[in-house]
Amino acid sequence: MITIAIAKGRMQDDALALLARAGVRVAEDARNSRRLALTDDSGRYRFIFVKPADVPVYVEHGIADCGVVGRDVLLESQADLLLPLDLGIARCRIVVAAADAEIMTRNLGMLRVATKYSQIAGAHFGARGIPVEIIQLSGSVELAPALGLADLIVDLVETGRTLRENGLTVVDEIAESTGKLVVNRASYQLKADAITQLVKALETALNGGGSV
Amino acid sequence: MRYYIGAEARLRRTIEDTAMSVFAAWSYEEVITPSVDYYDLFEQGMGQAEAQRGFRFTDNDGRLLALRPDVTSSVARMAATLLSERPRPLRFCYAALVFRQQPQSHAEWRRENTQLGCELIGGGGHEADLEVLRLAAEILSRLNLQSSYVITINNVEIFNGVAAHLELPATAREQLRRLIDTRETAELQRFINGFSNSEGRAFLQPTQLTGKRDVISAVRNVITNARSVAALDSLEELWTAIESLGLADHFEIDLSDVSSLDYYTGLSLKVFVHGAGTSVGRGGRYDGLTGNFGRAEPAVGFVLNLDALTEVLARRMTNV
Repeated sequence: MITIAIAKGRMQDDALALLARAGVRVAEDARNSRRLALTDDSGRYRFIFVKPADVPVYVEHGIADCGVVGRDVLLESQADLLLPLDLGIARCRIVVAAADAEIMTRNLGMLRVATKYSQIAGAHFGARGIPVEIIQLSGSVELAPALGLADLIVDLVETGRTLRENGLTVVDEIAESTGKLVVNRASYQLKADAITQLVKALETALNGGGSV
Repeated sequence: MRYYIGAEARLRRTIEDTAMSVFAAWSYEEVITPSVDYYDLFEQGMGQAEAQRGFRFTDNDGRLLALRPDVTSSVARMAATLLSERPRPLRFCYAALVFRQQPQSHAEWRRENTQLGCELIGGGGHEADLEVLRLAAEILSRLNLQSSYVITINNVEIFNGVAAHLELPATAREQLRRLIDTRETAELQRFINGFSNSEGRAFLQPTQLTGKRDVISAVRNVITNARSVAALDSLEELWTAIESLGLADHFEIDLSDVSSLDYYTGLSLKVFVHGAGTSVGRGGRYDGLTGNFGRAEPAVGFVLNLDALTEVLARRMTNV
């Protein structure tokens, strides 16, 4: 049996829909229940639903063989995983945003950056030699500039609506993020056949093929 | 930081004794190396990036010391200096603690690990490669893991030949290496499209890079540079020997295992066991290493992680 960890929230429905197209189906009533672990109809796959940041943890330790999680989370976690497939779901961008776009050039001292993604933000500004103080938040990051906590934010943007409504504009784009299939290194070798089968089925589904 | 108490400590000791007795049966002599040595030794032996993961501190006279982050460096220097007059090949084994900080993989990392390892120095060619592979296989089957282990093998010169053929600068080579290592197919496709040379395409189908003999024949259609072809020939010859020993079920070729390219010079191997989320052993050929200590000669070896093996076997005992 292959255990797949799926990031709860934005990713979950898209991931399950894609898996269904790849022939891995979960019964409707189970999907609507609040259980955090489910088995698919064929009994070959077990799903566990965890917070996005925990997906790389479960997979790296081999508790889950595979996972579905956004690239943003992977960049932040620095986990040692295989990433054989870009699923193209939950597409969004990781951006630098500010209330005043000129802040980057006007303020040459220390910029304060509020973010949930301290690793990504640190690497981005570090590579450019821009001195920043990273302020780690766990949500509602868009509030920080308005309240004077930070000059900039680094955050995920899907449509840009939340940014606009909080008076922020995109200053720079750091990376695009989509849902990825991640695989544990040991499982990739020890359950090679089952994982190859899953990867191929997902590939076919992504290329518009029907379900098996 | 881990305690082993009673039954677990006994199990751990049994595993260590089993491995050491297999080494002894193959005429490997035990060697005990200093646990504290000058940091320079490890930088010469492991390369800067790896050696810096060691715990470093200074002596009273200001010289930089380290708790040994590996044993191979010490054994290689010993072979090149203390034992330079001894007839080759030299066979050494050890069960020794190594100390590392900074995780490479969060799941794998402990501050201290006991390595069960061996080094075959002064022996080149397939016979030497095959000898250490057989040793690893014998230890695992003596630990009753015969139905649950996989040893993956590769030859790093296959990748090196392609990278040299593409004339990649160091940063691009590292990027290509990382993309192959993590099997990022989509990104890899984008990277390779930037080159008119098509040899990199060999790595585009990660699911076809892992398997038995057919893996080699598949990439032969794409990879034609002399350096890689020689490495493919060598890997295939090794595979033939593995087959003739009846060990093919336990071995897999994995051409995408390019994790420690700058250390190994030919064969590289990783050991996986059902029940462990990370590899439990690794090794390969490092012909360049003893040259760092003044006497270049072929060398090959591997280490098994005693703590990881103990965890797998302990869990198995409680589940029965």
